[in-house]
Amino acid sequence: MSARARRVGLLVVAVIAIAWPAILSDYSRSLATDGLISGLIVLSLVLLTGFVGQISFCQYSFAAVGAFTVGSLVAAHHWSFWLAMPLGVFGAAVVGALVGIPALRLSGLFLTILTVAVALFFDRFILASGTWDAFSGGLSSFVVGRPSFLGVHLDTSYRFYLFVLGTFSLCSLGVWNFRRGKTGRVLRAIRDAEVAASTLGINLTAWKLAAFATSAALAGLAGALLAVSIGSVSTGGYDLVHSLGVAAVATVMGVNSVASAAAGGLFLVFGPEILRHLGVSSQWFNLITGALLIVQLIVTPDGMVTDFQHKLGHLLRHRAARKAPVPATELDVRDDVPVRTGVRS
Amino acid sequence: MGLPAVLGVNFHLTPGYTVIGIVLGGVYALAAVGLVLIYRVSGVLNFAHGAVAMFATFTAYEVSTVKGAPGWIGAIVAIAVGAALGFAIEYFTIRPLHGRPALVKVVVTIGWLLVLQTAAGLIWGATAYHQPVRLVSRDGFRLVGTDVTVGYDQLTTVIVALIFALAVAALLRYTTLGNAMRAVADNPDTARLWGISVNRVTAASWMVGSAMAAVAGVLITPLIAFDTFSLTVVVIYAFTAALIGRLSSLPMTVVGGFLLGLAQTYPRMFSSLSGTADAVTFALVLLTLGVLFRPGGRKVRVV
Amino acid sequence: MTPRFSAALLEAEHVTVRFGGVTALDDASLRVNAGEIVGLIGPNGAGKTTFFNCVTGVLKPDTGLVTFDGVEVGGLPPHRRSRLGMARTFQNLQLFSGLTALENLMVAVDAHSSRGMLADAFRTPLALFEERRAEERARALLHFLNLSDRADTLASDLPVGLQRRLDLGRALVGRPRLLLLDEPAAGLDTRETADLAELLLRVRDRFNVTMLLVDHDMALVMRVCDHIYVLDFGKMLTEGPPAEIRQNETVIRAYLGEAVS
Repeated sequence: MSARARRVGLLVVAVIAIAWPAILSDYSRSLATDGLISGLIVLSLVLLTGFVGQISFCQYSFAAVGAFTVGSLVAAHHWSFWLAMPLGVFGAAVVGALVGIPALRLSGLFLTILTVAVALFFDRFILASGTWDAFSGGLSSFVVGRPSFLGVHLDTSYRFYLFVLGTFSLCSLGVWNFRRGKTGRVLRAIRDAEVAASTLGINLTAWKLAAFATSAALAGLAGALLAVSIGSVSTGGYDLVHSLGVAAVATVMGVNSVASAAAGGLFLVFGPEILRHLGVSSQWFNLITGALLIVQLIVTPDGMVTDFQHKLGHLLRHRAARKAPVPATELDVRDDVPVRTGVRS
Repeated sequence: MGLPAVLGVNFHLTPGYTVIGIVLGGVYALAAVGLVLIYRVSGVLNFAHGAVAMFATFTAYEVSTVKGAPGWIGAIVAIAVGAALGFAIEYFTIRPLHGRPALVKVVVTIGWLLVLQTAAGLIWGATAYHQPVRLVSRDGFRLVGTDVTVGYDQLTTVIVALIFALAVAALLRYTTLGNAMRAVADNPDTARLWGISVNRVTAASWMVGSAMAAVAGVLITPLIAFDTFSLTVVVIYAFTAALIGRLSSLPMTVVGGFLLGLAQTYPRMFSSLSGTADAVTFALVLLTLGVLFRPGGRKVRVV
Repeated sequence: MTPRFSAALLEAEHVTVRFGGVTALDDASLRVNAGEIVGLIGPNGAGKTTFFNCVTGVLKPDTGLVTFDGVEVGGLPPHRRSRLGMARTFQNLQLFSGLTALENLMVAVDAHSSRGMLADAFRTPLALFEERRAEERARALLHFLNLSDRADTLASDLPVGLQRRLDLGRALVGRPRLLLLDEPAAGLDTRETADLAELLLRVRDRFNVTMLLVDHDMALVMRVCDHIYVLDFGKMLTEGPPAEIRQNETVIRAYLGEAVS
């Protein structure tokens, strides 16, 4: 897609995203907010799976770190959200890096097993009622109030939605900038040919850990926002099935596109809602997601959003102006190596 | 004979816990053997292994506990359903992905996990309490020298698990199909040159492996919470046992299963935290992966 | 034998490597002088790959020493070797298949830049500046390699001959002092190999980079190398300029022996 078409598209999307929810009901707005928050988790997978190629089935565990940090600090110890949230994000990043350490040596298959084990461990041990009481000081669920941003109290659903929209957009932009820049290239290089990458001088360990930490940080941020959005934090919503579900949706949408994040997040939230409207139990959503995942892997392996983007790109293709080749005088010659004296045959 | 209580722990209970651990371990071993079979022959780590077991077990539940048929009929139905599911997964969703990286096929099984889990929840209720499938009476006998009662059902579980595991080993060693499976596991291309129908052998491995998962599922229902999620999660326990067996050695996988069963049960003597089984499993997974992938160590053969 | 006078850039002395009961390399020595193109040839199983691994630092010899400009190379982690000025190409290419040709080269520049992820995320002036510089360098190299029209093609979509060129370019981006080439003619036909030979000579003239080349292709080695070492059964059979090697009886026998068996 040409740069201009993309900019126009983004502008249209931005206008819709800001204006339309203003006229929606509170309930729909809060759904949209949760959709964007889920979108942050999908974004974390775009970074980890799309760039580095590592599959993770424990993103909600990282989100839980963010959520519970905010929950316990704000509700039980009365910290400000603006202090608790960065701490939660940082905590999630640390956990992410810890999970990344074994990932340094494990191939994709075994890493998958590890992340499932991590998810179960968090879900059934750390967040289970027995262990958690030790951390939480007896509270089994935290009630978190809405914070204020720059003096504006985010208590109305529209204000909070705008705040989440802004956060999501900034994060998406960040990941998009990663992709365009050195980070995206280096991570994808590591994914494609590790050995060659390290031969070029790339520090595999540092980059892989950084990718895990950043991905976990995004999920942790989502968790922190979720705590505030729902207004309470309890041990139910961060289990393995959630992590599997978000990974499935991310794969279906296509982990190579940043746009998948928004699409995936909204799908995760509005999918069950639509089912509810149709009078069908929202339990069907996971089933449909699973089925979609299977079908998508067989039919459109790149993911639906990525596929759509390619097709749209073909449709709107303009011939990009050819850049004039840079003259070869740009190359400089090493002058500290003495010229050869060997005899040539 | 009185054992002193140390640190408030009553070691009297050790034999009892040992029995539980062994029974649990037997089931894990059985599930793990099925998993390793599927992995070695088709190269796919079947994340839906537990979900298949769960679904098959629920059909057994439906047939026997709900509709009143004898337990063993339920078990047979479960085996049939398990094998059918295994076949369906392989034939319809793995085979079309021939040539794609193994990881893609694994993600497909994750899709199946979601589908089967939700379907079971919709049919039978996700959180409802279900009566376990009864195969044998719960009366038991006392173990000589201790005051531990071993239930006939517990004994049956271990024996059945071992029988099936041995049966698979025999299948692999002595039958044509088994030899074909081993050939394909070693090198599918060479096997094809020998005239072996790799497709048929692969489908067979999925059916046998899933059937074993079904048996494991039926056997385990009295031991753990019988709901859609807990059984699905058994796949991780099967993985752990399989990892201990380095994903290749069936005897070691069986040993791994028993090890895990005991490792999950003993801590219950010391701690009443509800997730200790998972904490132990997690630790074992880390440990096994660490040993398998230690720097300089021989890598596990990954397809 | 024609004397070689200039300073040794790479030196392998009395290298011995044993794998279990097999002696892969037996007291093998080799020297690459600055500005030279040195070739290492030998029949299959002679130990060329093992030797190459010792030189690239992947393998540490059981006895003997490999030094690059006086620094011992065995056991050095890859990014340290890169900083010393060693670069290599790969027999199996190992290109970054998901990246375009341009991006493949830009990554090589990125590897040596110091900016972190944050700078990328916020598109700081430093990041933008380095990004432009990297792109310019990459495009210049693409132009030198005659790959400018393929700048935006995915590496995996390029034909093998162009992929080899890209692999070579990727190794050159970091302005290495020593370039190690692992079977660069593998998979190329006669014409492509001739093109490669010309390219290697152009690279040497333009970049003044020293090269060690391991390959089977006699035409390439004879055309390009100043000095050739011959390895057989882990031992250095002989060495000398191409004209001598071409007529050397022992060498011919070693290769004929391979053809027979």
